[in-house]
Amino acid sequence: MNADNRKGELVELKNQLRQLAGSRAPGVEDVKRELYKKVISYMTIGIDVSSLFGEMVMCSATSDLVLKKMCYLYVGNYARGHPDLALLTINFLQKDCHDEDPMIRGLALRSLCSLRVMNLVEYLVGPLHAGLKDSNGYVRTVAAMGVLKLYHISPSSCTDNDFPATLKTQLLQDSDAQVVANCLCALQEIYLAEASRSDGSLKDRDSLYTTSVIYLLINRIKDFSEWAQCLVLDVVSKYVSSNPEESFKMMDILEDRLQHANSAVVLATIKVFLHLTLSMADIHQQVYERIKAPLLTLVSSGSVEQSYAVISHLHLLVLRAPTVFASEYKHFYCRYSDPSYVKKLKLEMLTAIANESNTYEIVTELCEYAANVDVAIARESIRAVGKIALQQYDVNAIVDRLLQFLEMEKDYVTAETLVLVKDLLRKYPQWSHDCIAVVGNVSSKNVTEPKAKAALVWMLGEYAYDMLDAPYVLEGFVENWAEEESAEVRLELLTAVTKIFFKRPPESIKMLGAALAAGLADAHQDVHDRALLYYRLLQQGVEIAERVVNPPKQAVSVFADTQSSEIRDRIFDEFNSLAVVYQEPSYMFLDKEHRGPIELTEDTGILPMDSKLSDDVLPSQHVEANDNDLLLSASEREESRGGVGNGSYAYSGPDLSGFDTPSPAAPSNNASLSSTSHTSPAIDDLLGLTFPAAPVPTSPSLKLKPKPLLDPATFQRKWSQLTIASTLDHTLSQPAALPSPQPLLRHMQAHSIECMASGGQAPKFKFFFFAQVADSPPSTGFFLVEFVVNTSSGISQAKVKADNADLVTAFGNLFVSTLRKFGSS
Amino acid sequence: MLHCVFLLSEHGEVMLEKQWMGQQVDRSICSWFWKQLHSRAKGHVPSVIAAPAYYLLHIVREGITFLACARSEMSPLLGIEFLGRVADVLSDYLGGLNDDLIKDNFVIVYQLLDEMMDSGFPMTTEPNILKEIIVPPNLVSRVISVVTGGASSMGRILPSATSSNVRWRASGIKHANNEIYFDLMEEMDATVNRDGFLARCEVYGEVRATSRLSGMPDVTVTFTNPSILNDVSFHPCVRYKSWEANQKLSFVPPDGSFKLMSYRVKNLKNTPIYVKPQLSSGEGVVTVNVMVGIRADPGKPVDSIVVQLPLPPAVASSDLSANHGTVTHNHNTKISTWNIGRIPKDKAPCLTGKLHLAKGLDRLHEYPTLLVGFKIMGVALSGFRNDKVDIEHVDYRSFKGFRALTHAACYEIRT
Repeated sequence: MNADNRKGELVELKNQLRQLAGSRAPGVEDVKRELYKKVISYMTIGIDVSSLFGEMVMCSATSDLVLKKMCYLYVGNYARGHPDLALLTINFLQKDCHDEDPMIRGLALRSLCSLRVMNLVEYLVGPLHAGLKDSNGYVRTVAAMGVLKLYHISPSSCTDNDFPATLKTQLLQDSDAQVVANCLCALQEIYLAEASRSDGSLKDRDSLYTTSVIYLLINRIKDFSEWAQCLVLDVVSKYVSSNPEESFKMMDILEDRLQHANSAVVLATIKVFLHLTLSMADIHQQVYERIKAPLLTLVSSGSVEQSYAVISHLHLLVLRAPTVFASEYKHFYCRYSDPSYVKKLKLEMLTAIANESNTYEIVTELCEYAANVDVAIARESIRAVGKIALQQYDVNAIVDRLLQFLEMEKDYVTAETLVLVKDLLRKYPQWSHDCIAVVGNVSSKNVTEPKAKAALVWMLGEYAYDMLDAPYVLEGFVENWAEEESAEVRLELLTAVTKIFFKRPPESIKMLGAALAAGLADAHQDVHDRALLYYRLLQQGVEIAERVVNPPKQAVSVFADTQSSEIRDRIFDEFNSLAVVYQEPSYMFLDKEHRGPIELTEDTGILPMDSKLSDDVLPSQHVEANDNDLLLSASEREESRGGVGNGSYAYSGPDLSGFDTPSPAAPSNNASLSSTSHTSPAIDDLLGLTFPAAPVPTSPSLKLKPKPLLDPATFQRKWSQLTIASTLDHTLSQPAALPSPQPLLRHMQAHSIECMASGGQAPKFKFFFFAQVADSPPSTGFFLVEFVVNTSSGISQAKVKADNADLVTAFGNLFVSTLRKFGSS
Repeated sequence: MLHCVFLLSEHGEVMLEKQWMGQQVDRSICSWFWKQLHSRAKGHVPSVIAAPAYYLLHIVREGITFLACARSEMSPLLGIEFLGRVADVLSDYLGGLNDDLIKDNFVIVYQLLDEMMDSGFPMTTEPNILKEIIVPPNLVSRVISVVTGGASSMGRILPSATSSNVRWRASGIKHANNEIYFDLMEEMDATVNRDGFLARCEVYGEVRATSRLSGMPDVTVTFTNPSILNDVSFHPCVRYKSWEANQKLSFVPPDGSFKLMSYRVKNLKNTPIYVKPQLSSGEGVVTVNVMVGIRADPGKPVDSIVVQLPLPPAVASSDLSANHGTVTHNHNTKISTWNIGRIPKDKAPCLTGKLHLAKGLDRLHEYPTLLVGFKIMGVALSGFRNDKVDIEHVDYRSFKGFRALTHAACYEIRT
């Protein structure tokens, strides 16, 4: 269908609709229905039929429910783009809100709330109030969600009309469980958004996590639909239980949720259990035992998609408590049909749970994968065998298996195996005899991968006595020096040749000369330097060189682990979340700057807070400039986005204007703002106390960025590069307020100090925090803190590192004062 | 919270979109997703991935992709379960799932999606309740609409169950014939390793029920040997306490078909049939010999036995034949399929032949895995059996039935 045709068809539709609008002839509804269907089918395939808006609305006076529904659908889709026309629909929607049929009342209310047109908000408040008090549960459920929609359109008109309070009452009193669930859902969202809009405190939201609310929800758990149960369980998991008895009682009531057919319910329940028992080590272990079977059932019962998400969670738990799952190793065997991303997770789990009793079976299984058609998995499984070998005491059988791999004569299998054999020999030198016999048979021509080549060269140099032809093999490598692309291999080659010279000088002196000459002429700096080093060492005398290059070695006992357990702990805090599936903490994905332009309306909501916060340190002019800057960039982004989603401007516009007004007034009223008042006195207080020498005005005052961004890799790099700038000791006033790390994390977060990772068991916890100076460009101005606290004694110590050493003192003060406030606020 | 759901056809065309949030997600995300799907090897896009601005959750059913976008942290299983439920409900309503059915019935689909989710949070997904709000486009309602001259496809009464405590069952259900059927369906997962040992063998089972009972019946089902079950999960209607106390299933059933319970039985000692492959390779040729026979007689005939042999990439051509059944080779997927059916009384089925390797290869380095399928009617392989069914709180006699079926889900033999 070309554009002209389509246009013609639209005009025709328009005419037909217009004719039908006033008609009351019998059968007219059927004709209308067909026309509506056509219009909506165009809408469905993405053709813009908004030009029919007027006619559609005119035809909407009908008693036919399907017609109504189609009309609601159409109106909901286009109203935001045509706010003026949307006004036309208000009339009939409001009328329908008073219909005697509760279904129509509900549908009309839902459509009314879904118009999302700013200037129609006033028409929403009345029907919503009536809807919340409706005698029918269906209408009340719609109304509760409607409040959330209203909040998204206009937060102020939602809060000004006291809707959150009404929802809270309804939450505690309504007889219909679905209404309760919807209230809970809406309230959570609203409180969270409110917190970031105003002072950043989650006080309102935390009022949902009180004993009375939680008990009410738990006691009604069976009345809720499976989805509402997920929501309730999520809320329960945020509740901090006051004593073990309470935790047991809660778990007792919720235990049968583990047997629910819906995997989302089971996962949410598991999260509750894990959180409730976090501080009780032995019970925590029992929880693992209890949740094992349901999780394994979910893996085998559901669809491929579901199974992947469950396996990701299982993976996390297995790495945390491998012994619990050790007896279930067969569940982690790969199936032929498993996608490779699932196989990869399974291999990691098999590696983790291998112990004395199951190693033989697991390694047998892994060896079968080495012949897998999927090359990536074959490689992974060989690595897994190697990892298990490095973990275990009895490596006898495993070494045999590895050596069998070399006999398979498959290049990637050989490559992976060589690397592993090298690692094994470094840990278990006693195996050198068996290994070298086999490695000696490997033809160096079949080894192409740099890592494998380097491993082979290392072994040739190290075990030159055991391999008769080692000098000749190496000679071959040296002759091909120019063709060798990998610097890693060339470096290894220099060392190997030098080492072999110490052992079998007559056969290798010529080769050594050639290798050193080639190395000195090498373009790669490291290779050149190493060649020069060896050359000069040899000039000093062969014995001295040997002492340096080839000293007697000690077997390596532990290889450095790659994944940091702190990050795993952090993920663990986010159990039952997308983060687990990605194996990355959620801040990597969910921070606002990662989210693209659509987040904008919320961003602008936060901006006023930013500017007010800055007032106590920055001159007001600066604030305004800064503000304007932000405003400008915000509106620019807004414009650029206008082209994508039509009508979005109408939605976010009011927020912008609302944000415009407070900024000039901000300097005068900042003293009354809680967010400012609680930082500055604390600094003064501490300046006077701990650092009497620093006079207030000259000290560089410090303002932290509200949502700093730092990824774990950068954190680690910075941490290892920087030196400890300051060590702060502090005794917590209420150490008992720290039964688990979460409350402290929330508290620090509220003061712009983010947590990178946390871990430990009561009473000792360790945290890594970071913060960033407010106006600093990305990736600079960071403060990194390692914070260790003993919750029974309350003694804590913080080690601070900073990009900018001048600000360390100020940050230290801020940090301690923030800590001081924890537990007392 | 899910922002929206897209339904994509087999070719990646957006058939339908449903947005639940004020800020609409642009359709262009679908083409981004489709590119991901095709830039990686088939079936290698995990069900949860991160797009530049969203997290995409998807499932594929009958060739149709259900794609959901989320912008904030949420439970991934909530999203995936929900999408699965959408697919189930649609297929139930439309009598199947394909491009045409969805395009023909998009108004129904919109209505369903509207009721199933509000503000990005799942609401009513119970098919029995949905059917009271939105009448399925089945033959009956079409007949009615012809006779009465255009009744709407909408239920006129509001479902009473939405506010009752037995949320899965409406009151006042009436049937002329009262009956309840149970289907015991078991799937066997087994892996035989290269040495011929049964590396693992377990059964995943489901009890599906179809209830057409009037009133508010209270049903109790007992089993002869519930202790063999390793783990169970139940439909929300099942009273867990009763199961915990005396291993009885006690429940008020929803009307219609539903999954009553599912369970897992692990570490079975034997598979009902054996499949013994022998592969020896040399000089560019692999000699294949596969024997199939009954190992542990389940008491009923083993049906529809199929052995699939996916050939490794190194194999250039194959020449396989069998003394029983038919052998076919699919050149696109490189899978040879041996259809055996039932094992004959008089001879042992045997597949023999040669695989010719690609030029330059002497031996086979990647060993193929055989995938075996079979079906046994009338037997639950795990040995799980029902004892009796009692129905209380009703004043009619009803018919009760029990059936069992076992089939191989993922039975693989490595060579």
